[in-house]
Amino acid sequence: MTATALAQRAARRSAWQRVAGGLAILRRSRVAMVGAALVLFWVVVAVFADDCILSPACWTGSPEYTSTPWLAVYPYDQGTGAVLGPPSADHWLGTDRSGRDLWARLAYGARIILTLAPLSVGLAVLVGGVLGLMAGYFGGVLDEVISRILDAVIAFPQIILYLIIIAALGASAANVVLAITVAGAPGIARLVRSLTLDIKTRDYVAAAQTRGESPWYIMLVEILPNASGPIMIDAMLRMGYAVFAIGTLGFLGLGLPPPSPDWGSMVNLGRRFIAAGHPWDALWASMATASLVVGLNLMADGLNEELQRYR
Amino acid sequence: MQPTGKMTQPVVKVQNVSIAYETRGGDITAVRDVSFQIHRGETLGLVGESGCGKSTIAYGLVNYLGRNGKITKGDVLFQGQSLVGQSPEDLRKLRGDQIAMVYQDPMTSLNPVLRIGEQMVEVLTVHRGVSEDKARARCIEMLGRVYMPDPAKVLDRFPHQISGGQQQRVVIAMALLNDPALLIMDEPTTALDVTVEAAVLDLVADLRRDFDTAILFISHNMGVIARVSNRVGVMYAGELVELASVREIFARPRHPYTQGLIRCLPNLARNKYNSPLYPIRGRVPSPAHLPPGCVFEPRCDYARDRCRQTRPALERLEGEHFSRCLFSNEIDPAQWQPPPELSLELATPPAEKPDPILKVSGLKTYYPHTDSSALSLIGLGKKEYVKAVDDVSLEAPRGLTLGVVGESGCGKSTLIKTIIGLEDITGGKVEFLGFDVKRTVARRDLDLIRELQMVFQNPDATMNPTYSVGQQIERPLRRFKVVPRDEVRAEVIRLLRAVKLDEHYYDRLPRQLSGGEKQRVGIARAFAGRPDVVLCDEPVSALDVSVQAAVLNLLLEIQREQNTTLIFIAHDLSVVRYFSDYIAVMYLGQVVDHGPAAAIYQPPYHPYTESLLAAVPVPDPTVEQEHIRLEGSVPSPLHPPSGCRFHTRCPRRGMLPDGGKLCEEEAPPWRDAGGGQHIYCHIPVEQLAALEPVIQAAEA
Repeated sequence: MTATALAQRAARRSAWQRVAGGLAILRRSRVAMVGAALVLFWVVVAVFADDCILSPACWTGSPEYTSTPWLAVYPYDQGTGAVLGPPSADHWLGTDRSGRDLWARLAYGARIILTLAPLSVGLAVLVGGVLGLMAGYFGGVLDEVISRILDAVIAFPQIILYLIIIAALGASAANVVLAITVAGAPGIARLVRSLTLDIKTRDYVAAAQTRGESPWYIMLVEILPNASGPIMIDAMLRMGYAVFAIGTLGFLGLGLPPPSPDWGSMVNLGRRFIAAGHPWDALWASMATASLVVGLNLMADGLNEELQRYR
Repeated sequence: MQPTGKMTQPVVKVQNVSIAYETRGGDITAVRDVSFQIHRGETLGLVGESGCGKSTIAYGLVNYLGRNGKITKGDVLFQGQSLVGQSPEDLRKLRGDQIAMVYQDPMTSLNPVLRIGEQMVEVLTVHRGVSEDKARARCIEMLGRVYMPDPAKVLDRFPHQISGGQQQRVVIAMALLNDPALLIMDEPTTALDVTVEAAVLDLVADLRRDFDTAILFISHNMGVIARVSNRVGVMYAGELVELASVREIFARPRHPYTQGLIRCLPNLARNKYNSPLYPIRGRVPSPAHLPPGCVFEPRCDYARDRCRQTRPALERLEGEHFSRCLFSNEIDPAQWQPPPELSLELATPPAEKPDPILKVSGLKTYYPHTDSSALSLIGLGKKEYVKAVDDVSLEAPRGLTLGVVGESGCGKSTLIKTIIGLEDITGGKVEFLGFDVKRTVARRDLDLIRELQMVFQNPDATMNPTYSVGQQIERPLRRFKVVPRDEVRAEVIRLLRAVKLDEHYYDRLPRQLSGGEKQRVGIARAFAGRPDVVLCDEPVSALDVSVQAAVLNLLLEIQREQNTTLIFIAHDLSVVRYFSDYIAVMYLGQVVDHGPAAAIYQPPYHPYTESLLAAVPVPDPTVEQEHIRLEGSVPSPLHPPSGCRFHTRCPRRGMLPDGGKLCEEEAPPWRDAGGGQHIYCHIPVEQLAALEPVIQAAEA
């Protein structure tokens, strides 16, 4: 086939093929595949924990609807077995102090984590990205002001920041997302700012300026897509941190209120029983958190390594 | 005096060497079957365009190819011994001792955290075991031989404290400290200004005489090669296609590629009205997809069937002239006719000078300089300014080309950035289409913006990597509403065709394009809105010679069609001479010489123009060129010299009484040199006109 025809085909790849291309990079790195497998496991568990996926009524959270558990096997908010029971044929991971099945709680808890973490990282990228673009592109006084505010937020230890926000606003899913966004946005803003400062010097940005394009056009259309690579890798790493943060908040009792099967609060509730010979609550919830965080980190690592390999 | 030349054994003999790189897609051959030899005291110039493999050969000689490079075939004999297959430790002893290398960028060749003395002394103490004191003395002696002023002081300085030309001298001195048998120089002057380059090339010529070293000199600049080499090897796509003495290569090139290269070189005798520049059609093949037969066959005007089937060997034509072509003996470059698709019309000069469409009067662009003193931290420090453009007045006649030429730091880039509005005007006026254009581009009228556009220097950075070619050309069309919405795509295709790219380029991404193609897209984008004036910031400097010719022709064609006025910036004097109708020469933020192109290159010259012309390497070893060299380096624009800014380096100061004391005290007047030329100098025009022309063709 002639060179031109080949090039034509290459250029007209559809969006699906581009995604497949991205996944191909992932496939090349064994590290990334291991990570992806871990994450995928929890995603499947979360999606198919019960039959919610099939019924729109469940999504809107209407109270009349009761879902039937699938992978979770048991519902998470009712006691279905013995109190503080060990792992057995009926209850694979054991039961907690109210007789609720631990595996079911883990499965439903996966849902919470896997919605809150990406949401908070997404918001952090949005907020941090905009701040970073503005600081990097406009420079001058705006840059100074934004950078100092970001410095101030980063100066706080993250846990203290969470405590302050949750204590002030109360414990709820929205506030957890808010806390993680506030803690995570400055780091992303710094990254985006440095990328913007670099890309701003390129000729194509000058070409856009000589066309009289507005600053927001240049920032969002010319600069941002070229910064997306490092931002995505950072975002993926941050998801791991976000999962960890949600777990921490739960453990400190600042997470979602009961009977929410938040993994962190499972550890918190279960820690009292470790000495009494029932480590299962704390153990399974900690391992679940750890596996998810490790999975996300491995994916980010593998992607990074693959992209750097033939540089 | 040692016998040089063929009597003795060659210092390095490369026999049928092939070098390949391992990549994700398999092994890629970068260099195929290259053979040459260099004797003591001889300089072999390797010339070729980017990607031809000349640097790869240099690294292969010292077996320093990187993690994934390897010599797959052939042998390298250094003083009789084979270098391939030696242990890394043995090679390490050879490198720096018997084989020395000088790289392109002196700033990255020298360690920025060590003093120069420490780095130089290391060469001797490690390889020769000399004591530190003796080594230091030898370093001072060597720095003196490379004409470094104040060698003892330089040893105590850091690399960033000396200029680029001086850094390169230090690197050359380091390379020569151990009296190496072979010196490899990989584009050593490409990063330097013309006047500095001339001084370094003089140095190389002197060293050849004094040290009797064998030198392998690699460059893409034919002029530089003509000046330094004894013999020249021309490389194309990883193969050595011609090998001959330097006079033979330029006078009687026998391979079609060499002939094509020389045909597309602008030299100072050619201009756009008297001779077209014929580019070499087609594109350099990627190393992964080489043609089956002769590697140049797809682009060759003389190609026949046999060329597609057999790969020619490097054959001796006569004496020491070799060529890798099956039909070298039958090709006569004098009979060459351009193929039909390349037929170029010559422009005709206008009868009288048109009115100016863009006028710059007394333009000043100053950058505030933040002093690093404690006082300036609180705003009380002395306010200093980098006077990048200081009182420049120019006119661009409608439909013609104004060339602005000067070395780095003269302010030419700042000048056009100010005109187009990317920089703030500190003083003076820019008048465009009768409007006083004061504000930065962000605040100008869209109609005004549309008529004044720019082509950028670096083809790799001129396009946004995320969007396709078509999308990027569409943007100015949509923004300036050049055509109605439904005709945009057709207009983009028309523009692509105008820059000689077919419509399949619409969906391609920039990374799939070569440098020349990207620059063409940049031109299409700039001309999309049909502007009245286009500013070109060194548009061809980063391109290969054959691509350069094609892009210049393109600009000329578009200019003719749309009657656009071009302001063309370059540091290559031959290109500017070819392309411009009027030329302005800038030095340290001021225009020192301006007028019609033909007048600038003939006496009377401004002394700076004269030294530029004397420094530019001419790709013809037979011309006679005056030998004028500038001392010192360009002064800092923070504190420009008083009076005439050129007085610190002017080689013609002695023509005035008192050794040119007037030049230090008073700013020079503008003198009318006749024919529309004006010179900014104290020396009377009659005296300047009496000087010899700098470049004269040799007597036949």
